[in-house]
Amino acid sequence: MLINRIFNGNDAVYGLTVGAIDDAIAKNGADKAVGFPNTAYCLPCYYAVTGVKVKTLGDLKEAVGVVKTLMTREHALDDALMSGVATALCAEFIEALKYVDGAVPYEEPCYGHLADAVIRELGVPLVTGDIPGVAVVLGSAPTAKEGVDLIKSYQAQGILVTLVGGIIDQCEELGYKTGANVRVIPLGKDVTSVIHVVSVAIRAALIFGNVTPGDAGALLAYTAERVPAFVNAFAPIDDVILAAGAGAIKLGFPVISNETEGIAEVPGALIPAKVEDFNKTSLEARNIKIKITNIDIPVAFASAFEGEIIRRGDMQVEFDGSRVDCFELVQSKDMEEIEDHRIEIIGPEIDEFPEGSKQSIAYIVEVAGKNMQPDFEPVFERKFHSYINCIEGVMHTGQRDMIRVRISKDAYQVGFRAKHIGEVLYAKVKSEFEAVVDKCQVKIYTMPEDCTKLRHELAVPAFDKRDDRLRNLTDESVDVYYSCILCQAFSPSHVCVVTPERLGLCGAVSWLDAKATNELDPNGPCQVITKEKCIDDRIGEFEDVNEAVHKLSQGALEEVSLYSIMEKPMTSCGCFECICGIEPFSNGVVITNREYAGMTPLGMTFPELASMTGGGVQTPGFMGHGKHFIASKKFMKAEGGIERIVWMPKELKDMVAERLNETAKELYGIDNFTGMVADETIAQDPETLVAFLTEQGHPALSMNPMM
Amino acid sequence: MALSGIQIFKMTPKTNCKDCGSPTCMAFSMKVAQGAVDISACPHMSEEALASLSEATAPPMKTIKVGTGDGEYTLGGETVLYRHEKTYVSKTRYAVSLCSGMDDAAIEAKLAEIPAVDYERIGERMYVEMLYVNYAEEAGQDKYVALVEKANAAGRTLVLGCKDPEVAKAALAVCKDGKPVLNGADASNYEAMNAVAAEAGVVLGVTGADLNELYDTVAALEKLGNKNLILDVGCASVKDAFAAAVQIRRAAVKDQDRTFGYPSLVNVAKLAQGDKYLQQALVSLFTMKYGSIVVMEELGYAEALPLFGLRQNVFTDPQKPMKVEPGIYPINGADENSVCLTTVDFALTYFIVSGELERSGVPCNLLISDAGGLSVLTAWAAGKLSSTSVAKFITEQVEDKIKCRKLVIPGKVAVLKGDIEAKLPGWEVIVGPLEAVQLVKFLKDMQG
Amino acid sequence: MPFNQKPQKFNATINTVEIGCGEKAIKLGGESVFPFYTFDGPIDNAPKVGVEISDLGLGDAVPGLKEFYGDAATPAEMAKKAEAMEGADFICLRLEGGDPNGENKSVEELVAVAKEVADAVTCPLVVEGCKNVEKDADLLAKVADALQGKNVLLLSAREENYKAVGAAAGLAYNQKVGAESAVDINLAKQLNVVTTQLGVKAESIVMNVGTAAAGYGYEYVVSTMDRIKAAALSQDDAMLQMPIITPVADETWNVKESMASEDDMPEWGSKEERGIAMEIMTASADLAAGSNAVILKHPQSVATISKMIKELV
Repeated sequence: MLINRIFNGNDAVYGLTVGAIDDAIAKNGADKAVGFPNTAYCLPCYYAVTGVKVKTLGDLKEAVGVVKTLMTREHALDDALMSGVATALCAEFIEALKYVDGAVPYEEPCYGHLADAVIRELGVPLVTGDIPGVAVVLGSAPTAKEGVDLIKSYQAQGILVTLVGGIIDQCEELGYKTGANVRVIPLGKDVTSVIHVVSVAIRAALIFGNVTPGDAGALLAYTAERVPAFVNAFAPIDDVILAAGAGAIKLGFPVISNETEGIAEVPGALIPAKVEDFNKTSLEARNIKIKITNIDIPVAFASAFEGEIIRRGDMQVEFDGSRVDCFELVQSKDMEEIEDHRIEIIGPEIDEFPEGSKQSIAYIVEVAGKNMQPDFEPVFERKFHSYINCIEGVMHTGQRDMIRVRISKDAYQVGFRAKHIGEVLYAKVKSEFEAVVDKCQVKIYTMPEDCTKLRHELAVPAFDKRDDRLRNLTDESVDVYYSCILCQAFSPSHVCVVTPERLGLCGAVSWLDAKATNELDPNGPCQVITKEKCIDDRIGEFEDVNEAVHKLSQGALEEVSLYSIMEKPMTSCGCFECICGIEPFSNGVVITNREYAGMTPLGMTFPELASMTGGGVQTPGFMGHGKHFIASKKFMKAEGGIERIVWMPKELKDMVAERLNETAKELYGIDNFTGMVADETIAQDPETLVAFLTEQGHPALSMNPMM
Repeated sequence: MALSGIQIFKMTPKTNCKDCGSPTCMAFSMKVAQGAVDISACPHMSEEALASLSEATAPPMKTIKVGTGDGEYTLGGETVLYRHEKTYVSKTRYAVSLCSGMDDAAIEAKLAEIPAVDYERIGERMYVEMLYVNYAEEAGQDKYVALVEKANAAGRTLVLGCKDPEVAKAALAVCKDGKPVLNGADASNYEAMNAVAAEAGVVLGVTGADLNELYDTVAALEKLGNKNLILDVGCASVKDAFAAAVQIRRAAVKDQDRTFGYPSLVNVAKLAQGDKYLQQALVSLFTMKYGSIVVMEELGYAEALPLFGLRQNVFTDPQKPMKVEPGIYPINGADENSVCLTTVDFALTYFIVSGELERSGVPCNLLISDAGGLSVLTAWAAGKLSSTSVAKFITEQVEDKIKCRKLVIPGKVAVLKGDIEAKLPGWEVIVGPLEAVQLVKFLKDMQG
Repeated sequence: MPFNQKPQKFNATINTVEIGCGEKAIKLGGESVFPFYTFDGPIDNAPKVGVEISDLGLGDAVPGLKEFYGDAATPAEMAKKAEAMEGADFICLRLEGGDPNGENKSVEELVAVAKEVADAVTCPLVVEGCKNVEKDADLLAKVADALQGKNVLLLSAREENYKAVGAAAGLAYNQKVGAESAVDINLAKQLNVVTTQLGVKAESIVMNVGTAAAGYGYEYVVSTMDRIKAAALSQDDAMLQMPIITPVADETWNVKESMASEDDMPEWGSKEERGIAMEIMTASADLAAGSNAVILKHPQSVATISKMIKELV
């Protein structure tokens, strides 16, 4: 049904075109020049699709014959779409004929054909995203006001709007200003004038996409991927418009229409919608994201306020998670569950709280996106502290359900309210995580009973689930690891391989962080490393990991193991939290951390060890690592694991004790393992160390020699 | 391949006797692996172990010492071709050229200028370290020896440029105690020159018409038992000298060709042929690419300021950032009432910030506290720049000297503002710009 | 036994990028060896030397510069003189007057200056913006438009504005794109990656990987360039094979050594001589580390560096 209508429309336009060309030849002769003014691309659409430059009416006659070959009539979608392309090309021919003999077929306010210069000028903001999309509005809106409102909504988003048909008169009727300077371009009132915006997209592909004329595949790929255009066609839609629409769809431009008669939805391509939803539907269909440039709040927002402290006497209201139930949470949702930029206050605004009082607050930022993953939730959430602190007159500390937020009297007096926290979170999450967040809404709860209920029923389970996920993430349970080369400025050949059980040696980059960094900035410091080709399971060596490390270290490193400090150990940069080093007399390893300035039983201090192991070189027997790695089951697994740890500074030992003991119990059935591990209060030389270990019956003493 | 610390450790007595100066055998082994300590520092190594270790740990390029006392310089000993791989260990040393063919007045004038350049830059004394005394045959032996004596009195380490063994012998008689370099051996005279140098106990400089001749001459000298050499890259052309300097170093370090494992000498005074600006360009080129001693026609302040700065940069440890001394640095004639700004002691940060402050023309005190030589954000992340560190520095070292109580902190650590204010009662803490380039405008706005 | 020469042969090449048109057009890059290593292989395109002029004129320049430009009053007149400078291969026009924190000249005014300069000379032209990323995004795009057909190099596209500058210069108007990053091999590479993803051909990109004056953290410059050239040649890393251009003058004439007055620092001697030496030594080091072109200001420096290049290649 739909396909037949397209064929009909195509046939009608084709008939008209052939007739028009024949008439023109009869009148002017076949040698008469034909073409558009101010373009180097002759008839740009035809040239781009076929690589052939049409210069005369005779050429045009030949071209229309070529177009005919596109008009196959198998009853299949692709035939219909190709007929759409044929319709578009016919439209170009008809439009071109209007310009024969230097005629000026279009007059104010219509533009008709657009010059190459305009495309170069528009192309730059299109490429940079400053013009986030191109709307083609076609036909007459149900009322002039509805039409103009739609145009306005696009304008406000920076989207370029082109108009074809009755909508142009509707703008005039309401005295609405159009023109290239306000990015609303009326093309022409005939439906064929829609080809002038298609011509823009196609020349953009030639100019900005380096597409070779005649390479139709590359052309269609470029317009589909790089030209964020879409069509809004008002009812009624006749066969001709439908055929032209098929052409748009072939170029990758979805058609959104309020027509309900004789039309069927083609998901992602032909989409029915109410006129008031055209904007939203179009943006979603074309995956256009509108950049947020300013945050609408009554106080300043800048990193200069990050360190501001609001004292008790200056505060209007305080939300204190240590006294009452408060929390902050990010949750990923399905697209339809979210209304973008909705900020909802559930409960009283600050106005209703007595000055200087302590209240409950819970804010939930709900996000959705095609590339969103629940693993990113904590990554966003960790940024909230910095976001909220950057608000002038607002102080934020803590995270999860241990937050404390203070709002100053000054900020309150100039109109700052709880909803503005929502505005800030919305704007920052949307702009900083643009790559994965398509829609975002914020719910702010201020009633104590809500906060209590949600904290226990929603937030705490969510945090627990995340912690469990982190705990259960093992190197074996994931398909890829990540590289991190943030430190190469200091250690040129250093490459961190971040795995779930081995975080970056700076302690700041976990596998989830690296994953998020990679998704958000695919060309950034964290790259995916596959782990398909295992060479040696014992020391954790993979062919793919070696290849990646070789490449990322610019050839300085050949092989690394993930779990050994003796064989091909991972390199160390300069930012490691800890260093472990082999202690030969006890047959174990000593770990020391950056904060500990004293001597170790190795006879070397942290700085001395750092200078020997740092700089991206492999130093067997010594390795930098993060604090959290100490309790990992993968910690020097190849040499026997954490059982080898014989000494740590007391502070570090206390810090990791709980988790380390847990791992020791699980792996070896040892209770209170850290009790056997010496520290600086026990030993600072090998002899005393060995004596202590012997007394304690430390397992390392009886293990296989490390070297 | 170099041995790892673990491999070396296996050959030590493993007694932790501390006789080597290190607390444990492991620590000692790590230092040897780094090249920081010689294996011979351990008195208890077995002969067998020592022999195998000496061979394996021997550097590809010999370390040659010239001069005595304060004027003793270490040349060569490099293990890498690029500074990012590992620190270059021996700085390029610059020698100013004198010649017995010059008239006395010119010589006097030149010698008088030598002490003029003498200043400190980030903890390093910058001055003319060496003098190159060239023998002009037509001026005769006596004049040369007299010049050498005079140059020696200037208290700089000498390089004698002389191909005549007899003259060299006479010259060395007056200066050999200062351990100069005798530069003048070539294919035609090396045996005699070797005898002279050996007798005086000084380093011998060797040259050749091309790299092959040089190579053969070095091999011949080594056969005579002399491994105390410096290789003169020659003066045929800039292109040849550069090719020689690079290929000698590359052969030694990359290809482990020990015959070329010696420091080099480049005479840019001769290469530039009187063009002092070309000389500036060339001395920079050969500082970058492998000149151990570079001979210059002149080394006044114009040359010294950029050149010593360049050398200081190129020969830094890539792992250890350069640091400036913590303290109060008054800028633009600041006094105790001028506004204070603080930043970290990372030399680069200090230079950039102080440069911008100078440009602003606003009198201000730059307060540098110890932040481990790290940049602002790195120091902050590492906890070396904190409200505590800043407050401690200011109460201990600033408050009794400065009356102004306004402190500008780097915009990147705006987060510290509240804490610093809490810890420094009476101070107003102002958040400065994010980047140093915005300081000029910031200070002007603050004034206005 | 003769010396066993082992040339370092690479199967990779630095891209060749042409700037300017006609007889005076220059080619940057094209070599398969490290800087000046002619003993390893040929260097067909010797490094080039550019002369910097500014829309703000000379300001308080040293006497030698004032004397050289004499009565040249406009940037176009200065460009003509600069073009004739001994050793000059190209001109770099800096539109520093556009800085919103400085003179804040309008884009139109600056485009007009660029056009006048371009029309006044026949040598290749490099146009540098005012370093304000937002202003440059607009300014350089307009300059690229106005100078169509001149094949100019636009400095610089940076992380913040590479899309605007890259799209205008590299795609819309067929000019060359200068990709500027801050002394870090990975940042340099990342910028090249995203710029090429934008559609700009690798052969249309020249890198400015950042520089410093000698003594001012110059070690980072050395290592960044050393590593880039090593990755480009020995690892055949296509995203680092762009030739490097280094604006030297801007750094070297703004450090204390070149700026301190003779009154303040009598023992340092002539201010002009200090400035020249700083410019020459920094430029020479940049070339030794891997720059394929340097941009200088003083006629003495231009002549000297040009002479050194001729001696070496």
